[in-house]
Amino acid sequence: MASRDILHQLKQRFGAALPRANVAGLDRLYVFVTPEALKDVCQFIFRDLDARYIISIGADDRPYSGKFLVAHNFAFDARHVLCSVLTEVNANGGRPQVPSITEVVPPANWAEREFRDLVGIEPVGHRYPKRLVLPDGWPEGVHPLRKDVPHDFCPPDYDENRDFQFEAPPEGCVVVPFGPFHPTLDEPTHFRLYVEGETVRGCEYRGFMAHRGIEKLAETVLGYNDIPMMAERICGICGCVHNVAYAQAVENAAAIVVPPRAEYIRTIMLELERLHSHLLWVGLACHIVGFDTLFMQAFRIREPVMWMAEQISGNRKTYSLCVIGGVRWEITPELRTGLRQVLDKLEAEWQAVVAAVSRDRNLQRRTRGVGIATPELVKNAALIGPVARAAGVAMDCRRDHPYAAYDRVEFEVIVEHGGDVWSRVVVRMKEVFESIKIIRQCLDKMEPGPLQAEIKDELPPGRFGMSSVEAPRGESHHFVITGENNRPRRWRVRAPTYQNLQGIPAMIKDQQLADMTISLGSIDPCFSCTDRLEVVDIRNQQTHVWSQEELVRLARRKT
Amino acid sequence: MSALSKLKEAYLCLKAGRVTLPYPARPQPVPPRFRGRPIFDANRCIGCAGCANNCPAREILVFDVCQEIRILKYLGRRCTYCGRCADLCPEKAITMSKDFETATPSIADLQQTLELFMSTCQRCGRCFKEPTPLEQLKLKGYRFDDLAHDRWIFRSKAYLEKDQVAGDIDLELD
Repeated sequence: MASRDILHQLKQRFGAALPRANVAGLDRLYVFVTPEALKDVCQFIFRDLDARYIISIGADDRPYSGKFLVAHNFAFDARHVLCSVLTEVNANGGRPQVPSITEVVPPANWAEREFRDLVGIEPVGHRYPKRLVLPDGWPEGVHPLRKDVPHDFCPPDYDENRDFQFEAPPEGCVVVPFGPFHPTLDEPTHFRLYVEGETVRGCEYRGFMAHRGIEKLAETVLGYNDIPMMAERICGICGCVHNVAYAQAVENAAAIVVPPRAEYIRTIMLELERLHSHLLWVGLACHIVGFDTLFMQAFRIREPVMWMAEQISGNRKTYSLCVIGGVRWEITPELRTGLRQVLDKLEAEWQAVVAAVSRDRNLQRRTRGVGIATPELVKNAALIGPVARAAGVAMDCRRDHPYAAYDRVEFEVIVEHGGDVWSRVVVRMKEVFESIKIIRQCLDKMEPGPLQAEIKDELPPGRFGMSSVEAPRGESHHFVITGENNRPRRWRVRAPTYQNLQGIPAMIKDQQLADMTISLGSIDPCFSCTDRLEVVDIRNQQTHVWSQEELVRLARRKT
Repeated sequence: MSALSKLKEAYLCLKAGRVTLPYPARPQPVPPRFRGRPIFDANRCIGCAGCANNCPAREILVFDVCQEIRILKYLGRRCTYCGRCADLCPEKAITMSKDFETATPSIADLQQTLELFMSTCQRCGRCFKEPTPLEQLKLKGYRFDDLAHDRWIFRSKAYLEKDQVAGDIDLELD
């Protein structure tokens, strides 16, 4: 038993520092560690046992145990185990402190800064303890994810007009702002690039401009079965992924067995989503480098997939697929034949596109040797998904931590060794064929049965659940602590872009400024977004926000 | 060979031809499972507030203005059309319509307010939907000659115990 082996190894090394542990099955392990030993245990797991870092979670557990909780999640890909290293931190009068692990586990950088902001647990020894999520105008000492802060709380001394504080650029460099609104950036985020001549020497990142506090809503307002619909809105492209990942995390915590038919339907929808996401991304990447032919063709080929999704779930994108214990939509025999036809057509058309593009020298000149991620960077920034696979690291949650019906279908993990943007294009192009293969197998193997498991009792409080789902752009990880009042006590979402963005400074370093957009685009960034149109008259410095009425009139007026 | 791949790309575009649909001029039919704006049917609604309790966007409000009138208000501002309300409605009073072109300058076009006339439980003072089970029987033609006076206890399992009804009329209506 793999999880028991790992626990055994940990016990041999740090006997007294592990007060308790929970082996929740073959593939889940929860180890409680004393705060003093946290750093050593994490170092041992990350370096010696060669685990992959996933995410850190800070939780306010004061109403239940009087303490704060910090969890560092790791994945043992080869041994198919997800492991959580938990520490209970003394409340210390509202100023809890935990030793930082960034020295030994560098990818924990953002996650520690995040729980410093949101839960108020101070990572002692963090090398760059700057604000990450909260805006600079937010007052000190107010931490939104604590249990005593209401979900709609806005502190009275919050100054929303205060500018962000940035570091001084290195000597000899000028600052080029990139974002929050930029022609090749779909969503608001800000990169402050330090440029020497035409070469990027470094950058500072400021994001989280559209932070919506979904985790807080889930902990205070919504119920277990409302959260899947809300989780779907985390991301515009991998919505179904978050939906499934949340449902699986709760099922994992409460030990609910999902009927096999529901598992197959989940797999089909996840792969449909990967299909349309990869087609969209290849189109967008070509659009960024100015190759709009393929942009148009990729979107044309993508459209039937969206129509199919609409027929299955009633919506093009937000499928509202999962509830705890099952799915809501049935795949009828008519839909099955329709889906097969769509897949056949898609496969033929995509083959033609791949044949045309794979030798295109213009595209290759823009993407080869650009935005290189080495295997060391993959390990040290915990990069995931196509970015890692293009760097020669074969990691894929579908194979390593099988969920839904992925243990019953056969597919290949596509690996390229270039590490550059072109390799990512190739990985994504080839993965389309794997997805088609998976959906066909699911349609063949789908067995009859109920769509939802019957849940008779209330879900037990205080249980931990973890779930990793391979989204099109990487691994989405959800961590749930179940709670009272029909809602989780703590729910932490780690979207794939969260880790991949941390690799961007290393990827763009010493590159041409013009390659910045495609390097950033190559991780398929997804900053949650909200937008409106504002017109600034530069002559008299007046701004005017257009109302919807005016916009509609403008759009309908003949040009 | 780059020239060859350019030729292949040109062939792709030529073969595809024009794919844009003449959408606003000729509307496309939506698939049968399509979920558009929810429509509330006041005649079937029993005011149980199941939709309000299960709305992920918290877009449905239920409140009592007095003992007889319960208001159900659909706000239509940030509804995500997930269809949970229609799934959970015990009386199927909510339908997800095919209405998706909901761009409008005034939010009131999307909103819907139901005024539900409720009966009042004479024991606990809570209101519930008319017609009551007993009146439904009456409407179907049953006669309750022995219940000359109007003081019956309405069925309300949450608040009444059987032995508390001593002296009142004990009705089993299922």
